[in-house]
Amino acid sequence: MSTPLILLPGDEVPKDQLPHSKSNNPLKVGPGLRLLSQPSAKPTSSNHVLTATQAGILTTDAKRNNVSILSFSNRRYIPAMNDLVIAQVHHSSVDFFHCIVTPHTAHALLGQLSPQLKQGDLVYARVLSVGVGAGAEVEITCVHPATGKAEPGGMGPLNGGMMFDISTGMATRLLRASSSSADENEGVDGLVVLSELGKKLESIGGFELAVGRNGKVWVDCSNAGENEVKATIAIGQCLQGTDEHNLNPTDQKKLVTRTLKAMKL
Amino acid sequence: MVGPTASLSNLHRADGSASYKCPATGFAVLGAVNGPVELPARRDALKPEEATVEVFVKPGNAVPGVGEKYVEGILRDVLSTVILRREKGLPRRGVVITLAIVGGEATERGDSYLTLLPALLHAAQLALISAAIPLPMTLATTLLGVTRSGEIIRDPSPAVAKAATSLHAISFSSKGHLLMNESLGRFDFDTWELVRQQAATICRGAATPGSDGDAAMGGTDNAHVDGFVRETVEDHLHRDYNWKLESI
Amino acid sequence: MTSPATAAPSVPPSLSLPPSQFARLQPHAYLLAHLSPPPAMNQPSVRANGRAASQFRVTSANAGSLTHTNGSAVVRIGDTAAVCGVRAELLHTEDIASWSVSQSSSATNQSNEAGGQGTDAENEVDRAQIEDLNLLVPNLSLSTGCAPGFIPSAPPSALAQSLSHQILSLLHSTRLVKADDLRVWYQPPNLEHIENEMDVDGGSENRHPREIKAFWVLYIDIMIISLAGNAFDAAWASVLAALRDTKLPKAWWDVDNETILCSEDINEAHKLSLRGMPIASSFCVFEADAAAGWRAVVIPDAEEQNAEKQKKKGPQSRWILADPDGYEEGLTMEKACVVVDKENGKTVILKMEKLGGWTIDTEDLRQLVDISAQRWDEMKQILG
Repeated sequence: MSTPLILLPGDEVPKDQLPHSKSNNPLKVGPGLRLLSQPSAKPTSSNHVLTATQAGILTTDAKRNNVSILSFSNRRYIPAMNDLVIAQVHHSSVDFFHCIVTPHTAHALLGQLSPQLKQGDLVYARVLSVGVGAGAEVEITCVHPATGKAEPGGMGPLNGGMMFDISTGMATRLLRASSSSADENEGVDGLVVLSELGKKLESIGGFELAVGRNGKVWVDCSNAGENEVKATIAIGQCLQGTDEHNLNPTDQKKLVTRTLKAMKL
Repeated sequence: MVGPTASLSNLHRADGSASYKCPATGFAVLGAVNGPVELPARRDALKPEEATVEVFVKPGNAVPGVGEKYVEGILRDVLSTVILRREKGLPRRGVVITLAIVGGEATERGDSYLTLLPALLHAAQLALISAAIPLPMTLATTLLGVTRSGEIIRDPSPAVAKAATSLHAISFSSKGHLLMNESLGRFDFDTWELVRQQAATICRGAATPGSDGDAAMGGTDNAHVDGFVRETVEDHLHRDYNWKLESI
Repeated sequence: MTSPATAAPSVPPSLSLPPSQFARLQPHAYLLAHLSPPPAMNQPSVRANGRAASQFRVTSANAGSLTHTNGSAVVRIGDTAAVCGVRAELLHTEDIASWSVSQSSSATNQSNEAGGQGTDAENEVDRAQIEDLNLLVPNLSLSTGCAPGFIPSAPPSALAQSLSHQILSLLHSTRLVKADDLRVWYQPPNLEHIENEMDVDGGSENRHPREIKAFWVLYIDIMIISLAGNAFDAAWASVLAALRDTKLPKAWWDVDNETILCSEDINEAHKLSLRGMPIASSFCVFEADAAAGWRAVVIPDAEEQNAEKQKKKGPQSRWILADPDGYEEGLTMEKACVVVDKENGKTVILKMEKLGGWTIDTEDLRQLVDISAQRWDEMKQILG
């Protein structure tokens, strides 16, 4: 890829930008794009076009044969199946816990199969269904629907620690960074803040992190003893700072060093 | 002429926001968009298959009145056409657009709000883009005044606008549709046609079909409004994806 | 198993619906079926209400029906009916806080008065007095029960508020009412020959210019008693008819009592001399493919759209409906409103509005202006 292609709503994706896969896998169209059928004026040419519906940078992945738009990072989270989210319990009814996933949206429902929770508790959960039709509510779960056992990956209540708000774009990056093995210098998606923090904080006992795609990150340093609060806040500040100022890897390292020094860690 | 200025995502709590300032008319508008949000069940949210668009206009120096209700109606009608209200996640939900008039001459009772429309529409549109609300196209708006001598003036100042025989606020989509026309004053159709042609040039650049797009990267004096919108968004995305673009 | 259908129903359950139910269940398809009947039927394209696309509803106007107002009118367009009453009240200039300040400008007015009418300064004073002193106060209310959904003691709906504003805005921009009609003058008697010795400045002819002692404020109340679409045309027509009917009593400044007196004599009252007769015509666009936004179809470029229209291929995909009724308004997004006046047979556009969609273009607007001009002739007959 040379210069990134920025599209505005209504712009068509140029044909030569699409990945050319030899396999028969169909092209996957990600968020921010939609496939439109052209009214058949010229039957000879392909009568499908990809049009952007959001403004953003066009990204293509030749390996996975997909194309999507990297849009504004502060946009609202829209629940999608199998997303990991951090939800807060709002109230409970007979069958469900009603949880808040994003402000100003309907509550998500959490099945009572889950452990006992009280109001205000945080839960790390997976989106089970987003529902369609009238009055549809999002359903989330922290147990595997088939087995009833707790899912791997730390699903369940989040005790202790602290939650920070980050942009949804940052949350996606963090999730990607934690799921794939990062190469040391560049990191995944240019994100080195986590590995840097991990290295620096190893001596005091490390930290636990849960990232919700809904723009929440939960940090816990309960192993850090007396430094617990300081370390938690330092991590939160580093993540939010990286997010807010869109720092590049070098600046992320600087930020980590500076913050930890200020916190006397 | 000093061109307008705009910036995106100025507000942290809103899903999307933008500010827009037009030095020629003096108006400045701060817009915030939240969406898709859950709306309380209401009678006027009649269509279950698409999102409801709500617009609120807050004047800078007074409580919202009858005039704001009127201009909210206009904005809602125009913006509804450029939002894909049936995309995933939008039906039965709401897109709430709040526009605060933060600069410019105060509007008077019975004012037509025509002079404010371009600033309001641009702030709303940029805020929608910043909130990543799905849109089929972008829009560009301009204000033209016709003086007594028949001269067509772009972005007239409030004094000139008051003295003009007719005022026209015209919106074009990025695909060339006439999205909105609000004309007031005394004029005949031929005058309007001249105004429309000039507005098309201002909004979409020179009338060479199919050559819009990245043509106006220079940011020169005769840059058209479409180009201005594109540049503003591109600038912001470059800053947002600083980390990514540097590593490439 | 065994159905006790001894008293068998005489009519077997029918699979067809009566038109009235079809209209409620599938309003869009119902209207579309009327507008584009199958070619085999050999029927003309009419709207569900029996009108042709550019046909307005039957309109009637009745002026002066309310006796306790200075002017009134009832205008009925189809099933939409608007009552408008104009009440005039006096506003003393001494009650206007900024009057002494703004009087400097009215002085220029007097010097210009001899030079005939139509000067810029006079126009500006005329405009400023009406707009800044709020001499026109329209208020529109949608009465309880005028349409389903208007319940008692509800606050003014957004529609009522925005219609009120539209009417005020149009009254200002068309400058329909002349400020001079609303002024109450006082000409101080020339007492110079008596006071001459006491006056130090040395008298001149201008020492006692006539002055404005009061203004008439017109409270224009519009009530939509029945709403079946197109409220604006009806409301504006009722305002126009009521203002044409309005008579202001002769009023003068009484020096002895230091107050304003009005004559009871109806013969001394004067009518308002309005500037022209602006007539509003509203339209809406019905699209055949209402689901266009639902099915993922490319929105055609404006040029393609034009090309298609010129070719006239395929079935008609949209209709511009004049004077939409409530049923049609509920099925359309795009709307247009044109206010025209005619001066010496020449059409002047006073307001042209179009929003909510992308199908109306220049050529359509030109046609709409022509239709509005015809409507003007029609309304001139009706308003008399």
